[in-house]
Amino acid sequence: MKQVEETLRQEVAKLLEDGTIDVFVGHEAASLPLKTSPCFVRSPKEVDRLVWNRICTSNLATYLPQLFKRPVGLKGEWTPPKVGVVAKGCDSRSIVGLIKEKQIPRDRLFIIGIGCEGMIDRHSVGRALGVVGLADAKVDDKSVQVIGTDGREKRIDIADVLAASCRECQHREAVLSNLTIGETPSSAPEVSHYANVAEFESKSPQERWEHWVGELSRCIRCYACRQACPNCYCEECFAEETAPKWLGVTTDLSDVFVFHLGRAFHQAGRCVDCGACVAACPQGIDLRLLNQKINKDVEELFEAQVSLSLEEAEALSSFRMEDDQSFMTEP
Amino acid sequence: MLEMTLDKSKVQEFLRLLGENRRLFAPVKDRMGTKFSEVADPSLVCLDGLNTNLSPKEVVFPQWETLYTFKEDHANEVKLAAQETLLFGARPCDARALGLLDQVFTWEGIDDPYYLRRREKTCVVALACNTPGEACFCTSVGGSPVGEIGADVLAFDLGEQLYLRALTERGEALLKEASTLTEKATEEDKQAVQQAAAEAEKQLQAIPIPKDLAALKESFDAEIWEELGLKCLGCGTCAYVCPTCHCFDITDETKKGVGRRVRNWDSCAFSLFTLHGSGHNPRTTQAARYRQRVLHKFLYCPENFGEAFCVGCGRCITNCPAGLDLRAVLERLSSLAKVT
Amino acid sequence: MTKKTNEKMGGNGWEPRIVAFLCNWCSYAGADLAGVSRIQYPPNVRVIRVPCSGRINPLFIVKALQTGADGVLVSGCHPGDCHYISGNLYARRKFALLKSLLEYVGIEPQRVHFSWVSAAEGPRFAEILGKVTDSVRSVGPASKMIKKFEEVA
Ligand code: SF4
Ligand code: SF4
Ligand code: SF4
Ligand code: SF4
Ligand code: SF4
Repeated sequence: MKQVEETLRQEVAKLLEDGTIDVFVGHEAASLPLKTSPCFVRSPKEVDRLVWNRICTSNLATYLPQLFKRPVGLKGEWTPPKVGVVAKGCDSRSIVGLIKEKQIPRDRLFIIGIGCEGMIDRHSVGRALGVVGLADAKVDDKSVQVIGTDGREKRIDIADVLAASCRECQHREAVLSNLTIGETPSSAPEVSHYANVAEFESKSPQERWEHWVGELSRCIRCYACRQACPNCYCEECFAEETAPKWLGVTTDLSDVFVFHLGRAFHQAGRCVDCGACVAACPQGIDLRLLNQKINKDVEELFEAQVSLSLEEAEALSSFRMEDDQSFMTEP
Repeated sequence: MLEMTLDKSKVQEFLRLLGENRRLFAPVKDRMGTKFSEVADPSLVCLDGLNTNLSPKEVVFPQWETLYTFKEDHANEVKLAAQETLLFGARPCDARALGLLDQVFTWEGIDDPYYLRRREKTCVVALACNTPGEACFCTSVGGSPVGEIGADVLAFDLGEQLYLRALTERGEALLKEASTLTEKATEEDKQAVQQAAAEAEKQLQAIPIPKDLAALKESFDAEIWEELGLKCLGCGTCAYVCPTCHCFDITDETKKGVGRRVRNWDSCAFSLFTLHGSGHNPRTTQAARYRQRVLHKFLYCPENFGEAFCVGCGRCITNCPAGLDLRAVLERLSSLAKVT
Repeated sequence: MTKKTNEKMGGNGWEPRIVAFLCNWCSYAGADLAGVSRIQYPPNVRVIRVPCSGRINPLFIVKALQTGADGVLVSGCHPGDCHYISGNLYARRKFALLKSLLEYVGIEPQRVHFSWVSAAEGPRFAEILGKVTDSVRSVGPASKMIKKFEEVA
């Protein structure tokens, strides 16, 4: 890992030096243990800020569209910058999606792909600690050694605190890149896909309703899930539109339902299961159970995969004459 | 000054007794650590956590409330009654934050009845911190892990027992109400408390806080906001978890001739926060929005209220999905202030 | 129906309210035909005419349920007959996902219906309405998604 980090820094320094890119988007250490922050490196002198480790959890694709927006109020000529970015499998798929949706230009992007063995979910570590905070942590290949704010130490198997998405991830290498560094990741885990969704589907309607009432009552409408998601780039989200006003702005449960149904639905055929929304939620709501339901349906009904290549059409911007109609009362 | 001790084994009984004619809010276990919750069963109360993941400001300043209802051409006021409430186990930073909110909602002699109805009926028992959390910096912003501001009673966890110190008349009345369960604090107890207080304060990190307001004003055009703005996702997390953030929005909700006017929390990080009806938005960039959050707390509030509106609880730091750390920003602002 | 279940379902006289989104070119014309042909159909629907089933934002359906509809019917032209060639085929994918998602969160599937009805299918439209109304009736008044307001005097 250390070595990949070193290679990454060297490559980025080269790219900045020879003018291939103007800015590089990567991860840097944040001040709290097991946390990173996106960083924007503009000069070869700064490349040492870049880190590559098991806590590069956030999806950097989210940070790209803003760089290609013309600065507000700027007069005269403006050329969008040339942007470099480091991408895990999921980041790269989000980038593919954003390129297809014309939010970022392929020809001004330099993607460095790094194979990924899965990222740590900070919430899971927090849960392992219980009610105390995380004072310090060390990560090696197999485990996370944590010290709680109560001074107690604990060794946690890394597999137990991997993000849920990472445990099932089938695309651990960038699907689109200009350069790949590091080793090929070990082969994707043999897991039953959508097991969580299938299990949930087997519950009674009342149980399912009550589950979501419980989960969504926790929601504080902070929109961190939306803001962290690369797909949620709308200038004005339906949740905040006033004409028409789709829903109220409070945490009235009915409105929270409409928000979450709408948000999840807008991910149909677009969600790459990167887990950024889940990691961002300050209330630890399992949004994945909602996202994955749609992903499962998209895969099963339309035999579509999300954002694996630039050529494939997105599931909801295409159709087949013989698409499933079994859901219809009178087809 | 009334100083009592309560055997830990009697805490539940104590809460049950005081909760008989009050709403009781206290920390309970949660998947995100602990959270404040209205508790009917005191056995659920958990005092072992650090500050809760969400602040207790919701108890006096709920995320949303109806201001009035209307039908066709007439409006109905909502009844401004509130029940006696006991907020038990708020950390000193959160108690102090309530004191800051009080200043906002009574600013320049204009009282906010919606806020005050709850606040005036709320008795706050703060629980001093023996060990601070990973992002706490209360002492740097003028607070203390054993601070008394905003609380009616200050409690200390002495291991086997809770030491309780009444700070206000309301606090004294509260302790008297439960006097059958408590003992008078001994000299030994008081010494133990002093020692615990000293220990706790020592453990806190000191962060440089920019106090030179003129220099802070200069920072308005500083470069650092640009990069911070690129990182900041523009969510409402930091404002919603913060015990002192108090911005709200007022909207109407209608349905077939009836409706209600509600106010609900808002966040300066949202791009819609300053969007005018005309479509003009004076804060066009996330950099400007993030700057607003910091300068509101550390420049405009000191100008308006004489103190910074941050109690150092660290929640915005632990919860920020972009890994932004207010402490680091303050540090950078302080060094900026020095050069200018 | 026993007295008790009847009460649970809103008491005597409760009738489901159903919002029907009908495309202008086929299903709305079909409904019209049913009307002018004097075919009896349940009076429970409130029709909203839309240019094409492809115009139906899935949020319309969610919003209808939030605003108090006990059921929703969406109907468009048969595949291949869309006035805009393929609006209904894009829509079909969205509807399949939405129906499944609503059921997933615990909304009764009996509340949300989709059909294709051509301009010539007046009798069929009436039949479908009967079926849909029965289906919605079988699950009683909606409550889950509905946004509740304070009582206003
Ligand atoms: S919805 Fe969540 S998991 Fe899906 S792409 Fe967006 S952030 Fe990633
Ligand atoms: S939830 Fe939908 S409308 Fe809102 S930002 Fe995301 S994609 Fe856009
Ligand atoms: S991040 Fe969590 S709490 Fe915030 S709006 Fe999304 S689901 Fe709700
Ligand atoms: S929580 Fe972080 S990302 Fe969200 S608005 Fe605050 S600073 Fe920005
Ligand atoms: S700004 Fe951050 S540290 Fe300060 S009181 Fe608010 S949440 Fe706590």
